[in-house]
Amino acid sequence: MRRFREDTPLLLAVYLVKNTPARRPNGAPAWSRVLIDLAQFFNTVFNGLSLSSIILLTSLGLAITFGQMRVINMAHGEFVMIGAYVTYLTQKLFLAVFPESLFSVYYIVAVPAAFAATFLLGSLLELTVISRLYGREIDSLLATCGISLIFQQAARHIFGAQGVNVTSPKFLSGGITVGGCTFSYNRLFIILFVALILFAMWFLLYRSNFGRQMRAVTQNRPMAKCVGINSRKVDNFTFGIGSGLAGLAGCSVALLGSIDASVGQSYIVNSFMAVVLGGVGKLLGTVLGSSVIGFSGIAAETFVSSSIAKAIVLLIIILFLQKKPQGLFTIRSRALDE
Amino acid sequence: MTKLKNQAGNLCFSLIIIGLAVMPLLMAAGVAESPLIIFLGKCVAFSIVAIGLDLIWGYTGILSLGHGLYFALGGYGMAMYLKLRATHGAITEFMHTGGLTALPAVWKPFQSLPLTVLSVLIVPAGLAYIIGYFIFKNRIKGVYFSIISQALTWAAYSVFIALSPYTNGNVGITEIGSLAGKIRGSANQGRLTLLFYVSLAILALIYATAAFLVRTKFGKLLIAIRDGENRTYFSGYRVSRYKTFIYVLSAAIAAVAGAIFVNFNGSITPSQMTIAFSVNMVIWVAIGGRGTIVGAVIGALLVNLCEYNLSSGGMIEVWQYIVGGIFCVTILFFKGGIMGLFREQIPAFLRKLKVRGGQKVES
Repeated sequence: MRRFREDTPLLLAVYLVKNTPARRPNGAPAWSRVLIDLAQFFNTVFNGLSLSSIILLTSLGLAITFGQMRVINMAHGEFVMIGAYVTYLTQKLFLAVFPESLFSVYYIVAVPAAFAATFLLGSLLELTVISRLYGREIDSLLATCGISLIFQQAARHIFGAQGVNVTSPKFLSGGITVGGCTFSYNRLFIILFVALILFAMWFLLYRSNFGRQMRAVTQNRPMAKCVGINSRKVDNFTFGIGSGLAGLAGCSVALLGSIDASVGQSYIVNSFMAVVLGGVGKLLGTVLGSSVIGFSGIAAETFVSSSIAKAIVLLIIILFLQKKPQGLFTIRSRALDE
Repeated sequence: MTKLKNQAGNLCFSLIIIGLAVMPLLMAAGVAESPLIIFLGKCVAFSIVAIGLDLIWGYTGILSLGHGLYFALGGYGMAMYLKLRATHGAITEFMHTGGLTALPAVWKPFQSLPLTVLSVLIVPAGLAYIIGYFIFKNRIKGVYFSIISQALTWAAYSVFIALSPYTNGNVGITEIGSLAGKIRGSANQGRLTLLFYVSLAILALIYATAAFLVRTKFGKLLIAIRDGENRTYFSGYRVSRYKTFIYVLSAAIAAVAGAIFVNFNGSITPSQMTIAFSVNMVIWVAIGGRGTIVGAVIGALLVNLCEYNLSSGGMIEVWQYIVGGIFCVTILFFKGGIMGLFREQIPAFLRKLKVRGGQKVES
């Protein structure tokens, strides 16, 4: 496989210069065309990055519950929805209670609030339902399906069937323009936000005591219990973190469009595919899986309409999974059914 | 007694069929109304697709979250024929709007009934064969299969919406009659009765086929695959072939159900292709009882009848809580659904009572 060369953008620029006629028909000098092409290139890359980071954000929690606990959480999309609604509620609260000048602060409050709400709800769900389903993957999928129906109906009951909108805080509206490319603050913020969360998750999983316990339980539950790890507590906390990550995803989803009871459903298919494509149980795999889906989605959109592009990307991934059913990264084992 | 026990499922099914068969007579007598019969016709279609789903999930252990795709493909095939019959083979309204001037080649075969019936069966079965062949050959199973089937359905759904000049996008194919002609209204009760009995006969036929199939050696192999796939492999069976066959059969059954559904519903929309609808089918089978053919039928009928009654009573908002809750409880505690309740839980409970009673007498 050829590796990505560091000078590829430069080569691309040189190629564009060489293959551009000296003067375009309307008389503009050739270099302007190069600039336009470059701007388009960077725009595409930026869009791909932004889409990938949203998919990554919604699939991180799934990757943790699926990878660490072998539980398929079909209600993950509903946790995203709950996070989005918590953001909406915080905004409403700020409008009602605090003066106008403090309005933009609401988003900073909403992020921990959404995390806390979904974390608690996730823990509760683990205690009551999920804890009975360990080792029954398909049943965990079905039971969470039922729960997602209940959550959706509850949202429709409380907030109505009509979608609601969240106003972006002041410091996130607008964008910067650099040489023909526009980077909206919204999307820049989401990319940074995801990078931050990714770092926090990496630290939690691979550098903290809790992460060590969590991985120990994943790899060998009876042995982990023998050395004194409270596996029930670890399970509960893990599921809570997974749901909390969905809540954080909901916070950023709220910035992108209107929120209704089925907002989570539109993200869930891509997230599942990202987890499966990346390979279960590795953080890096999920990152790569989401980037593949995000970038190829944006790339395909330049040729066909967006809904066809989504379908094509999914089909290509399914074809790829025929070749490597375990995904890009796998934990090697000799077990028959891994 | 054991003989009776073995036939309990079939007896149950006969009772259901008789119960359904009486309904048009009640309509003729003026007790039941024709919307109820139309609704029961849809329920018959749902029962058929539930049997198909039960064959792959309850018996073989393959959970498909995308059977709505095959249901809708069958439905669209039938709807295309009915639409062309309504326009006498001419190009339809939405094609004009979509910028087409002549009937597209995809629609041409649907001008004749035999070709339509053939393609209703062949197209979904062929698609299922291609998907099943590769997925099962590469030993993708369990939740991975469920996730992939879900993604496929979602992809097909967005393609169907994008190709709106051919499929009328979000709206679907509407304003079509049935194979027997107009069935709505009290003047057309005779046609409705005919259509209903034909559908009922198809349901009985498919039930008989499925019930026969699961009693043969082939059926036992399906159960073996469900309970121990690797052992079956090592016993020398080509598991992927069995899985592909049953998957294709189940897709064809779903397509037949879709075709029947269109006749009663009078339209087909992409919402029958969504993941939500496919999950609904799984819910019917789970509540009725997976792993028993009659359980699938009972589940489909019961859940839909409850929904019908509640939604006419203005309780539609509560319905989703109820069905979600029952589904969760079924998965958590009653793996066999309603059938399992009668087969295992209640006998076990009675035995327990007996033992306790015996102890009391002794003390």
